Amino acid sequence: MKEKLNHALYIILGNRVYFLIGLIAIVVIIMSSMSPYFLTVNNMLGMTRFGAVLALVALGETLVILAGGGGIDLSVGAILSLSGILFGIMMKAGIPLWAAALACIVIAGILGAVNGLTIAKLGLPPLIGTLGTMYAYGALALVLSKGVPVSGFPKEFGFLGQGMILKIPVQVLLVVVPVFIFLQFITSKTKFGRNIYLVGVNEQAARFAGISVVNTRFVLYTLSGILAGFGSIIMASYLMTARADVGNGLELQAITVAMLGGTNIMGGTGSLTGTILAVLIVTMVASGLQLANVNTIWQLAVLGLILLGAVAINQAISNRDAKRHGIA
Amino acid sequence: MILKAILKGFAPRPERREIFTILLLIAEIIIFSLISKNFLSTQNLSTVLRNATDLAIIAIGMTMVMIMGGIDISVGSSLGVVAIIIGWMIQADFHPLLIVLAAMAVGTGIGFINGALITYTKIPDIITTLGTSNILRAAVFAMLGGRWLTGLPPVFSWMTAGNFFGIPTSFFLLLAFYLVFWYFMTFRPSGRHIYAIGNGLEATKLAGVDVNRTRMKAYGILGALVGFAALLYVGRLGSVEITVGIDLPMQAIAAVVIGGTSVKGGSGSVIGTLAGVLFMAVMRNGIVLLGIPSLWERFVIGLLILISVGVDLFISHQTKRRQQMQLAQQRQAELSVVSH
Repeated sequence: MKEKLNHALYIILGNRVYFLIGLIAIVVIIMSSMSPYFLTVNNMLGMTRFGAVLALVALGETLVILAGGGGIDLSVGAILSLSGILFGIMMKAGIPLWAAALACIVIAGILGAVNGLTIAKLGLPPLIGTLGTMYAYGALALVLSKGVPVSGFPKEFGFLGQGMILKIPVQVLLVVVPVFIFLQFITSKTKFGRNIYLVGVNEQAARFAGISVVNTRFVLYTLSGILAGFGSIIMASYLMTARADVGNGLELQAITVAMLGGTNIMGGTGSLTGTILAVLIVTMVASGLQLANVNTIWQLAVLGLILLGAVAINQAISNRDAKRHGIA
Repeated sequence: MILKAILKGFAPRPERREIFTILLLIAEIIIFSLISKNFLSTQNLSTVLRNATDLAIIAIGMTMVMIMGGIDISVGSSLGVVAIIIGWMIQADFHPLLIVLAAMAVGTGIGFINGALITYTKIPDIITTLGTSNILRAAVFAMLGGRWLTGLPPVFSWMTAGNFFGIPTSFFLLLAFYLVFWYFMTFRPSGRHIYAIGNGLEATKLAGVDVNRTRMKAYGILGALVGFAALLYVGRLGSVEITVGIDLPMQAIAAVVIGGTSVKGGSGSVIGTLAGVLFMAVMRNGIVLLGIPSLWERFVIGLLILISVGVDLFISHQTKRRQQMQLAQQRQAELSVVSH
């Protein structure tokens, strides 16, 4: 009996997508009992707005972690702040919206590529390399804006961050969903996508198979930067200002979400679907707590607990898998 | 050619990498004293030392943990929690000795919790402390309840503001702490075990060291040091604000890395860390003295982290190449012996 129960538990916990869907159900039940406004179509759809930026950044973070080698990107928040400030400055200087947006994304890509260069090509440990750039980029954002928010965007620009199409927030429908589908296609259907996993599982084997570990990781750090660039434009449109501190703490949330989504911190296993489901959970908890009038500071604590719990489960599962296959 | 020779002569070997940081510190002091006349004044130098004391003490623990191959990002939030408890106890007029004991106890407790989570659940160090950092930060917010603790009576300010024979008390504090931990890390078995774990956890375990206990101990000591640093923090500022210690983990890690501790663990020293802390403190002071907007400070620290890790990489490549060359030469010598 106990064996059977254990086995059932293992199946639920072992398949991350089932586990997350179950978790979503639990969160929905708890939240809707706390606030009657929670379980309405408008609220559920509208809520996704708050998860849009996190989703973009977390997808990049997931891919960086997946590719292994201790990969992690602590600078995503700072890239988001810096590219957002530059975007604001360009808009103020009278550069047309589309050009400024394009330039912003290119700059964010370059900032990410700097990470890729120092880490993948030069071999700096990812944790320290991105810690350094996090400091440097964050400070540049402050210096360029002189600590003052950049505002004065045209009113139409707010549509991206505040508008709705068919009751769905614009940034979710036009940015997050297409980006997710594109990245999901890349990771599951293309050679490059499979390379990411192989590089994460076994660097040596990947090298023998003729895959350039360096290039794969370089591309992913750049991609992480580009996604942060998308996030910065959405954020600027949502707030109608560009602030130097807008990305503070975002790296932490992104890592938490990736862990909760089932990505192994050592690389090699994980999925973008898991990350997106995890973003949904974190967003629901956050806005549910807000609806229930619980002080927002507790979100931090909840996020911390979720992070620890999620990774502990990941570890337990991988230990058990290893035992089953007689590795450990 | 000349450059190559200089590099060869001065390239610090890994076992005395801290000399490099000390040389950097001396060069920095010379440059700033040439540029600004106020820099070398006794008052300015003691201010630099006083402001760096709490960071310097936390950096000792961070060095131990990083040599072990770990990291702790929760030091800032745990300093906040301890500082608030200290503030409350000061307001409630507890005996100072009791406050010191409580601060160290709470700090140690938090450190042990981190250590236990890392050791027994096998969650990687950075993720564990990221999680506990979040939880403790929420605790700081909740404990402060949106208001700062201000106007605390200066019970502990003698520790940083005071003088002893005309020399700041901070100097003696740092001397004592760094001597004790230099001795501990260099000569005590537990200290050597920390290096061993950083060089290879499995091998250390096989050598009969109680690895789990050593790791718990290191995190516990770091916690105790954070508790002590919180006393200095409260004594220095007389208040606890909501953003307390938010930059502290990054600064401590930066100081340790600049001081030459390997990011991958296994090598480093507290002496190097002291040089790293002072280097950063002098840099901050110099930036202010030169009239550069202090917004640039973080930029400089970020660059310093990247540069010093880059230097470490360069050194380890060099050592590896040298070892390979020696090995090749040895093999050649053996071959020639055989053929004769």
